[in-house]
Amino acid sequence: MMADLKYAFRMLLKAPAFASIAILTLALGIGANTAIFSLIHDLFLRGLPFKDPSRIVRIYGEAKERDLKQLPFSVPKFWHYRDGQTVFSSIAADWGNGYILTGLGEPAQVLGENVTANYFDLLGIHPILGRNFLQQEEMRDDVGLVTENFWRKRLGSDPGVIGRSIALNGVATTIIGVLPDLPISWFGRDTEIFIVKPFENANATRDRLMRGYSFMRCIGRLKPGITMQQAQSTMPALEQSYRAQHPETADCTWTSVLVSATEDVTGDLRPAFVTLLIAVGAVLMIACSNVANLLLVRFSGRRREIALRMALGANRRNVVRLFVLESASVSVIAGIIGLCLALWIVDLVPKIAGDNVPLEGGIRLHWAVLVFTLLLSLLTGLAMGCYPAWQSSRADLIEGLKESNRTMSASRGQHRFRRGLVSAQVALSMVLLAAAAMLASSFVRLSNQETGFRSDHVWAAGIGLPAGRYPDPASRARFAQRLVEEVQASPGVEVAATVDAVPLSGNYSQTPYARTDGNPLPVNQRPLGLTRSISPGYFRALRIPLLAGREFTERDGADGPLVVILSSSTAKRLFPNENPLGKQLLFGVDNGNGLVAEVVGVVGDVRSRELAKTNDVEFYRPWPQRSVSFFNVIVRTSMNPEAAASMVRAALDRIDKEMPILQPNTLDTIVAQSLGQRRLTMGLLGAFAEDVLRLVVRQGMDPVLIGLGFGLVAIFGTGRFLTAQLYQISPHNPMLLALTATGLAIAALLACLIPARRATSIDPIQALRSE
Amino acid sequence: MIRLHNIERSYPLGRGQMFYVLRDIDLDIAAGDFVSVMGPSGAGKSTLLHILGMHDHGWTGEYFFDETAVHLLKAKERATLRNEQVGFVFQQYHLLDDLTVYENLDIPLSYRHYSKGERAALVADALDRFQIVGKKDLYPRQLSGGQQQLVGVARAIIASPKLLLADEPTGNLHSSQGEEIMELFRRLNEEGVTIVQVTHSEKNASYGKRIIQLRDGWIV
Repeated sequence: MMADLKYAFRMLLKAPAFASIAILTLALGIGANTAIFSLIHDLFLRGLPFKDPSRIVRIYGEAKERDLKQLPFSVPKFWHYRDGQTVFSSIAADWGNGYILTGLGEPAQVLGENVTANYFDLLGIHPILGRNFLQQEEMRDDVGLVTENFWRKRLGSDPGVIGRSIALNGVATTIIGVLPDLPISWFGRDTEIFIVKPFENANATRDRLMRGYSFMRCIGRLKPGITMQQAQSTMPALEQSYRAQHPETADCTWTSVLVSATEDVTGDLRPAFVTLLIAVGAVLMIACSNVANLLLVRFSGRRREIALRMALGANRRNVVRLFVLESASVSVIAGIIGLCLALWIVDLVPKIAGDNVPLEGGIRLHWAVLVFTLLLSLLTGLAMGCYPAWQSSRADLIEGLKESNRTMSASRGQHRFRRGLVSAQVALSMVLLAAAAMLASSFVRLSNQETGFRSDHVWAAGIGLPAGRYPDPASRARFAQRLVEEVQASPGVEVAATVDAVPLSGNYSQTPYARTDGNPLPVNQRPLGLTRSISPGYFRALRIPLLAGREFTERDGADGPLVVILSSSTAKRLFPNENPLGKQLLFGVDNGNGLVAEVVGVVGDVRSRELAKTNDVEFYRPWPQRSVSFFNVIVRTSMNPEAAASMVRAALDRIDKEMPILQPNTLDTIVAQSLGQRRLTMGLLGAFAEDVLRLVVRQGMDPVLIGLGFGLVAIFGTGRFLTAQLYQISPHNPMLLALTATGLAIAALLACLIPARRATSIDPIQALRSE
Repeated sequence: MIRLHNIERSYPLGRGQMFYVLRDIDLDIAAGDFVSVMGPSGAGKSTLLHILGMHDHGWTGEYFFDETAVHLLKAKERATLRNEQVGFVFQQYHLLDDLTVYENLDIPLSYRHYSKGERAALVADALDRFQIVGKKDLYPRQLSGGQQQLVGVARAIIASPKLLLADEPTGNLHSSQGEEIMELFRRLNEEGVTIVQVTHSEKNASYGKRIIQLRDGWIV
């Protein structure tokens, strides 16, 4: 065996051109597969770093009749479920919030979570220092947990951190423990602190909270022996009792849906990764068949050696082993190079995908990935080496010995096999290229999709208002108005405005609504409409056209009559064939029936939630009349938008020096980031397709045409896997398929013509002499 | 040791016609014999040698090797018998170009049931016996034709075969190198190895104990 291995390497060294082509070809296939496996391992297989994560579920609300899914919990609903359920060993809740951290140098905006005291015990996460929350601390004590990252970076790994006090939103909070860094797929990026006051929310009065204001994410740990299905079957009883006891709440009509924790964090990523997995599988198959073809030619040329070995006592097994070792050597070396390639791709992915794929930073190499690469390399070596080796070992011994050193031509069977391989490669390439072309086309269409607003020259950043200093709508309104005025007065600023959530940032809120005329449905049966709280300059800042009525003004204050502006689609939907101006709508859950607001304007439609989807309903409310503790300041400037950061900072210093800026960014970047996952799929698939094209085109034309035929058939079979990734294009788009097939055929034709031309230019006498 | 009875080898020509390479061959070769097979090109000499060496399976008739009925053996059994009993020397030397002299000698042993230690000892013996110790790390392309054929003979007898078959062993050598090889054959024969060689050379044939003439597939 060792002698054969040594010989295999010697043969590879003797044919460096063959070896390097074969190794690089396979490295591409193995590298692509390893990269995608590594991502799949991190996202889907490794599991969440919790104790027995398969028993952790998320509990969502759902109102199918209103097409509402994955709805959060309200406080009364959480209490009801916590006390009434029998299938979970415990249930817990959390909700995210921004905090202003003071007392540690410059004031900083940090992200945190408000959790129930049992939250980390339920997940099975233990602090690396100190302890978890105690039940008696919930809603009573100003205590907090920080992450290891927070402890190291902001507290200098202080060994005496336990008992140390930090100020969060101006409230002295005692650190009781340091948690290991937590998975971003669960808590989001940059979550650093946790406090234990989950049932109060500065954005809602107690009355609103108790009327079903839903903002908490609820989780449960299944009791031993209880399955998801069993737990799900107990939900209707809880829903009914909640409805009976809290008929006035907005969420009492919702049903409850359990989703496993793993599925919850990766569910929407699955289609993209299924697409990529199929694609890289195809890339590897193409690479394998390409190298198998090369091996077949190479092994056929060594029939004298095979015959001689058999004359000296080798049996077919010996010969096959020798050649398979040779192909396995190629694949293992390719595996090592592929692993490096994979590390590079994996490192690149978070940069391409942005926040759309919850991957931890830094390159990590897990044992599972190493084992996968090794097995894949060996299997690849076996798969592509076995047939050529077996074919070659059938060589006629006497003919082989007679042939001396003369080059021998392949048998008819081998020709057939090789043509089959080429056809298969072309068919797979056709599928891959067509898929890449469709994704690219989708991406371009989506990138060019009219958003309804102008993101160029606009800068945005978040600001969190601590409840201690800004406890009510009036104080929040005063702060926002002052900030806008200060920024507006800065040189180069065209318009400054505020909004609770920037379009396409992934943040949005929804409010129950109804027309006041007729018989409005009860609050808990009303549809939810996307609602944005804005300051007067918002539409001008984003260049959203005013189609009718007026914009908000400073007169639309907290004490003034409630007003609302509708998007064009909303106006058509709610007031078909009517003038919506002056009409009234009910909003929210206040007073048990919502508050009446008058329509004062209609503006153009905006794709604010997803670039790929229109919003049926979108409302705009004046910030003073619907304010929360977190908002974004947006600045349209004639200068470099990044310059706005210093203006806003200066303005904040004049108003409140302890107010940090959070997540500053240009709106262009935010819009581009919303395409992150599509960019990832399209980018990787495009890169693989480009490399595959290079591998395949150097083949004869007949098998190429056969392969194109099979490829077209295969696209009709596999197109459904792509549908979820596409935008405004069918997976069976005839124009794109025709272009792909023609492009591939032309490339193959050119690749055939060049060697053919070279062959015809050879002097026949010279050729005979070389024989 | 060898008894051939009514051996025939033919190839189909199409339309039911056959082309006979060997016809009705009856031949006895005793242990320790040194037979030279002669005849014009196309007489069937090499075919006869490949049948004796059990490389060729497409013949009819009876072939006994030390009372073993080769004609009744399956291909795998014939290969085993060949590996144990037969060594082959080729006109083209047929050394493996990418193996050193040492590795070329080791190759036949690696396909038999020898331990690593036994193989090393046998190769060392052969290198010593054929006085090519100094060449053991060289590749065939670094040797002269005579030296390559010397390695070819050493390789053929390294597993101690009873029968040594040689197909024009000096065909590619100049006369002095040819004589050396033939002297080597004579010594091996004296040591008890049965040898069957195919040759065009009267002089080489004279090293043998008897000559068989083949013409158009018939023994004449």
